[in-house]
Amino acid sequence: MTTLLQTLSNQARNMAARSPWIYRINAGSCNGCDVECATTALIPRYDVERLGCQYCGSPRHADIVLITGPLTARVKDAVMRVYAEVPEPKVTVAVGVCPISGGIFRDGYAVHAPIDQHLPVDVNIPGCPPRPQAIIEGIAQAIAIWRERL
Amino acid sequence: MNYVRTLIRNLIRGPSTEVYPFGPAWTPVHFRGRVEFKLSSCTACRACEQVCAPGAIRFDKTPEGLRFMLWHNTCVFCGLCEYYCPTDAIHQTDDWHMAHATAHQYEMAIRELISYVSCTACGAKALASAPNPAGVVPPFTAEEIEIQRNLCPGCRKTALAERGVK
Repeated sequence: MTTLLQTLSNQARNMAARSPWIYRINAGSCNGCDVECATTALIPRYDVERLGCQYCGSPRHADIVLITGPLTARVKDAVMRVYAEVPEPKVTVAVGVCPISGGIFRDGYAVHAPIDQHLPVDVNIPGCPPRPQAIIEGIAQAIAIWRERL
Repeated sequence: MNYVRTLIRNLIRGPSTEVYPFGPAWTPVHFRGRVEFKLSSCTACRACEQVCAPGAIRFDKTPEGLRFMLWHNTCVFCGLCEYYCPTDAIHQTDDWHMAHATAHQYEMAIRELISYVSCTACGAKALASAPNPAGVVPPFTAEEIEIQRNLCPGCRKTALAERGVK
């Protein structure tokens, strides 16, 4: 009986399409990357929902986290708390050069970039800001990583 | 009856969604993407390092020569380096496929070495950099550039004076 249940649950696991939900954290971004993220998700021209993704309003529902901005000193605490609320397995994507290295704010006194010193980042999307197609490319890579982790 | 026109237009044109990532994406001709560096044209003037706002371009002095380094993960793709380069050694391509796994982030750099040579005229240590051909009349030939490349700045000046530069 248990083996049958296990087989069924395994089969269901394989059959499920598993749509990752996306959550966006603004870690002190200038809003450029946020606009591109919103464009990627909301405008039919780019339509990230073809990949099964959907933006969600709560970190507790998220599978993929997009982080923009250089992690300013002011916002660091809030970002760490929100990030901790995202359930495992999660995939973190750094959008734009700011979270990756600090970009134009690199070595600034008020930023804690690079962000991978504070939380594990899986995919980088360089650009200032990256174009929507590049963000889709990064999300596609993130989905591949996420499926491996399940 | 406007909706009929819209309906017919939509039927003919199809959906407005771009095919990417299931097909190629349209890229503007002058898109400022990944940077390309041509070592053979670089005069080592370091103008690009001077104008690079996020400090993505760096020149380091090493015992072997001058090392050029550009990290795409800091670059903001503003295009100033290309604008100020006197010899077009640096230019931006329209390649925007730069999303990568974090494990490969330090491979997103250009690392080139402008090596030291001993000057063919006086034997002093000099950088094997290209001469700046801007405003030289008549322009340098390929052989002349190769000869100039192996001269120290002093001997280069003398050679230019003997050649007659307007």
